[in-house]
Amino acid sequence: MKLKKKKELMSWKETWNTNKRLLQLLYTQRPKMLGICILMDIWNALTPYVGIYLSALIIEELAGSRNPDTLLRLVLTTLFSAALIALAGAFLNRLQAVENAGFYYYSRKLLDDKLMDMDFCILDETETNSALTTILQNQGGGGWGMGRAFNLINDLISSLFSLFGGIALTVTLFTSRVPDSAGNMTFLNSPLFLLPLLAVMLAVIYLAPALSNKSDSYYAFNSGTHNLANRLFSHFGFLGYQNQLAADMRMYRQDIICEKYNSDKTSTFSSKGPFAGLARGPMGLYAAASAAVSGILTGVIYVFVCLKAWAGAFGIGMMTQYIGAITRFATGLSSLISVTGQIRINSTFLKQIFDFLDHPNIMYQGSLTIEKRNDRQYEIEFRDVSFRYPGSEQYALRHVNMKFRVGQRLAVVGPNGSGKTTFIKLLCRLYDPTEGTILLNGFDIRKYDYREYLSIFSVVFQDFALTDMPLGENVAAAGTYNRELAQSCLIKAGFESRLKELPKGMDTYLKKTLDEDGVDMSGGESQKIALARALYKDSPFIVLDEPTTALDPIAEAEIYSKFNEIIEDKTAIYISHRLSSCKFCDEILVFDKGGVVQQGSHEALVSDAAGKYHALWYAQAQYYAESNAAG
Amino acid sequence: MATDTTNTTKQKEKPPKPRYNMWQSSWYMIRLAIREKEKKVLILCTLTALLAVASNLANLSITPVILGAVENHSPLSTLLLLIGGFVALTMLLSAAASYVSTNILYGKITVRTAIITKLNTKMAATSYPNISDEKFLKMRGKASDSISCNSAAAEAVWDTLTRLLENVLGFLIYLALLSSVNPLLILVITATSLLGYFINKPLSEYGYRHREEEGLLTGTLFYYSSCAESSHMAKDIRLFGMRPWLEELYAKTWSAYQMFQRKAQNVYIWGRIADLVLAFLRNGFVYAYLIYLMLNGNMSVSLFLLYFTAAGNFSGWVSGILGTLLTLYQQGLEISNVRECLEYPEPFLFKEGAPLEPDIHRPYEIRLEDVSFRYPNTEKDTLSHISLTLHPGEKLAVVGLNGAGKTTLIKLLCGFLDPTEGRVLLDGRDIREYNRRDYYRLFAAVFQDFSVLATTIAANVAQREEDIDMPLVKDCIAKAGLTEKIESLPEQYEEKLCRDVYEDAVMLSGGETQRLMLARALYKKAPFVMLDEPTAALDPIAEADLYSKYHEMTAGRSSVYISHRLASTRFCDRIILIENGIIAEEGTHEGLLAKNGRYAELFEVQSKYYKKDSTNGANENSADSTNEPPNENDAFHEDNILPETKALPKSKTLPDTNALPERKEDTAE
Repeated sequence: MKLKKKKELMSWKETWNTNKRLLQLLYTQRPKMLGICILMDIWNALTPYVGIYLSALIIEELAGSRNPDTLLRLVLTTLFSAALIALAGAFLNRLQAVENAGFYYYSRKLLDDKLMDMDFCILDETETNSALTTILQNQGGGGWGMGRAFNLINDLISSLFSLFGGIALTVTLFTSRVPDSAGNMTFLNSPLFLLPLLAVMLAVIYLAPALSNKSDSYYAFNSGTHNLANRLFSHFGFLGYQNQLAADMRMYRQDIICEKYNSDKTSTFSSKGPFAGLARGPMGLYAAASAAVSGILTGVIYVFVCLKAWAGAFGIGMMTQYIGAITRFATGLSSLISVTGQIRINSTFLKQIFDFLDHPNIMYQGSLTIEKRNDRQYEIEFRDVSFRYPGSEQYALRHVNMKFRVGQRLAVVGPNGSGKTTFIKLLCRLYDPTEGTILLNGFDIRKYDYREYLSIFSVVFQDFALTDMPLGENVAAAGTYNRELAQSCLIKAGFESRLKELPKGMDTYLKKTLDEDGVDMSGGESQKIALARALYKDSPFIVLDEPTTALDPIAEAEIYSKFNEIIEDKTAIYISHRLSSCKFCDEILVFDKGGVVQQGSHEALVSDAAGKYHALWYAQAQYYAESNAAG
Repeated sequence: MATDTTNTTKQKEKPPKPRYNMWQSSWYMIRLAIREKEKKVLILCTLTALLAVASNLANLSITPVILGAVENHSPLSTLLLLIGGFVALTMLLSAAASYVSTNILYGKITVRTAIITKLNTKMAATSYPNISDEKFLKMRGKASDSISCNSAAAEAVWDTLTRLLENVLGFLIYLALLSSVNPLLILVITATSLLGYFINKPLSEYGYRHREEEGLLTGTLFYYSSCAESSHMAKDIRLFGMRPWLEELYAKTWSAYQMFQRKAQNVYIWGRIADLVLAFLRNGFVYAYLIYLMLNGNMSVSLFLLYFTAAGNFSGWVSGILGTLLTLYQQGLEISNVRECLEYPEPFLFKEGAPLEPDIHRPYEIRLEDVSFRYPNTEKDTLSHISLTLHPGEKLAVVGLNGAGKTTLIKLLCGFLDPTEGRVLLDGRDIREYNRRDYYRLFAAVFQDFSVLATTIAANVAQREEDIDMPLVKDCIAKAGLTEKIESLPEQYEEKLCRDVYEDAVMLSGGETQRLMLARALYKKAPFVMLDEPTAALDPIAEADLYSKYHEMTAGRSSVYISHRLASTRFCDRIILIENGIIAEEGTHEGLLAKNGRYAELFEVQSKYYKKDSTNGANENSADSTNEPPNENDAFHEDNILPETKALPKSKTLPDTNALPERKEDTAE
């Protein structure tokens, strides 16, 4: 969508700079690949001229003296040189194919590295995500982007060398003179004759690619529509494959609406859609005109060469050489122009990638180290903290003041959207406060080394994420780890019985993405693994953001009853909707509409009949009211 | 439950023989194009082939003909006319070819889309048990690969057929041309081409044979990207310092990938070497023979050039035919798999079944008659010998632990699964006799997973885009408590959902989406309402609110309600507790509690947290008044509130009360 506004092309200077930057990048990161690819381009551009040259000699000999010995020598030279060229080409090709393989993954990794480096607060912005999506969709749908840029640069080099080779073999075409005996055909010798010829050639050479780029540009400039169409297509075209939605889809007969979308012939790419219309009209006509114009060029070359040969400037052998060489030259030149045009179009997309890579981080990077205190005495304080998500008008948190220290059990409760998770995100410095400060042991948390600061928190988010890698590695979040410790963490998290069932134990892959013997874990089992991971990290602060929603009451009770024991002297922060879990916390923070509205123990809060906590508590407790009668 | 298996799984056994051969598959595609009114695909493909052959012939003859004219010193006008004629012809042919190739794409996409549509409809509507059938899933995974992009079999097959036609035509024409020289020439060229093909075939298939090995590597590289690009994983990657671990996986896979490429290229290079040797022999023979003809006869130079070029091209046609046949064979396999997928047998009756017209005013009764159910390839019944009647207008709650079989029971009632033993009866008639799609019309459900469509809010409620009953939509939205939210949006009911598709789509929170799904269920006006634990992620007040909405919504209808929170089902007429595959207990909430059995026990576990004294085994600190009979539920005894110093031992760390916002303020919603 963004691209629609940017209809105008990039300037040539900017095009050059953008592509130069790609070359510099490759020169630093993948010099071998760059070198071999360029060598291959040159090789492929120049070697065909050897064949043209040698077969011209054979024709010349056949048209002339037809000496068998000379012919034998020429034929053998041709055959052997062709074989040698092909042999060297095969080895070069092998090298190039190996080096260039996976260029797509390489270029994607550049984006991925950037994402990994990015401040979470930037990563979390909608713009970041949509920039990334645009880049990936342009790559996937229209093939625009870094891979295309590199291919085009290769094509450019190749066509440049085609020109050089062509010029080398055709110099004599212009220097060889029509003999005076040819009468008025000697006008061909005049250099003035070359000017209109050159003019026609240049006009044609300019026109053909310009027309073809014009035709291509219909796609490039509609990449927004294009991408939306692809997204709609992958939504409605494949919805039926999602097993977890199968019941819902059948009950609401969603196959009907999918079919309506999928069989719509007026949709973007279908035969009655807008692009098909353009193809029948201007897009197709421009392409046809471009192809036809290239034919004029061939015609002009033929006329010039044939006239000179007819007038006796050179023999038939040279004539085939000139025709062959100039045809290649013309192809090279036309490709040169077409490639530069495409490079210019593609540079807009390449620049999107560089802009993405250049997006600066904004978080202050402190350098304070965190004292490794044996007594693990840490104190956290929120001092008048307010926070607004970037681009949002509304405060997600307002004037939050609170303080707690290691060893406490802190509960954070409140309705959906009241700021609980935001509070945790600020605490873990995924975001920095808009106003106010958060202090660790009296110092602004921004002054600490970021990595070290993160190391004091273990968090199980509500939307926690495990990888598809082996179970044990997931617990440790690392490739090499302490097996006994990981195992004991799993057991503590209540995973023991399931662990025993797994034939590969700790080495069981989660899901089948990376290993076909992988095992799919249920929501509850995954939560236990995530809990084990938090325990393995052994940080002084452990944060649980609603970790038990997928567990049944018995499992929930087990987890809660064991948790205090499990976390020993660590500080625990719970976010929960099941207020029952908060009861045993020392301190409860009640959030509502972005602020802390109450703070205190369960008993104190629940007795405040006008308070939010009271309302939340009785909303749930009512279900169990009659237990009094039964219990 | 098996999940999506688009990922390639290793096939150890030999793949089963395809049901259709490559000619049947090609014919299927041609018929499909005609049926879909896309005959232009066939016409444009044929044109492409004809134009390619014509252009090849023009290029073959242009140089020799003009060379001949110069050689014989024909009049200048003839020469210019010849050049002009050829140029005009070439221009026409290439313009036509270019126009055709610009236009051919859309018809091809439309035909592929027709297959995508058929497949998706099959997937979305196939008998529910099929979606956990391993064989079907495997076919489905392969089929979705065959339709996924322009270069996938379902579209690329047109190129293959075009090239086959082109190569066969070219072969025939050149055969006629060269046989006028010497059949031996044809024999030698054909022989070297065949030899080259048979040497190259096993080599070039290296990649195809090892595609699963490569697929696993590229899949892992993609996996790395999907982790790095997932906004969902970003928090955990940072907090747990997962980057080095992921990088390690990437580095390992990347070097394995390069190794794989090296191995593959080391194989391919032999094919290229064989080709160059054969080209050497073939060209040597052609040169020798043509030069011999020239030296001993009166063949002209231009004819020499013609034959020499023709010989090279002829070899191209021969290997072209062989190559396209091989591609067609591979694509034929994929198309056959797509067809087998579409024709996969349906255990349920659809159109062939008895029709049903749901009537919301009519009482319906569903009865499970001694029903057992066992998932395929398992050793134990998930449900065993269950008899249960869902009476008209009854509200039934199903409770039990994770994995007890609650969801399976719902699936049996809704007709997603058929019992392994026993029968499910609708008003006394086995539901297997009905059109299953009609049967689903009897139900409105809110499951744990729901499918939000990339369309407007109104269409998501109505599940259709035309003829939406807007007053009803608004009414349902109001009943679900979502009116305020939706009417605050700029486009209101026309606001689009699903950010994955529409960048400007509205994002609803979990609770709001739940309410939307409730509105959707209401709009359906079905006699039965099924609710499968839809409140897990909601806050207490929203949860309580939804419970009461469900209560309202199910008034006068039969309903089945699954919940983890035992007490939330108290509004139901009857509660059944599923344990170990049977109905362990059955009755009203009060009755079950009085019985003091398993239900009472589970209830106790849950409710102890809500009892006003702290009889919570989990916390010894506060457990100072165990088993004291609780008083009325509205007040908390002062005695039971722990002394502040005890509950908050580190009182020093408490923020000073001034800094705290007033507690009393802001209790109103």
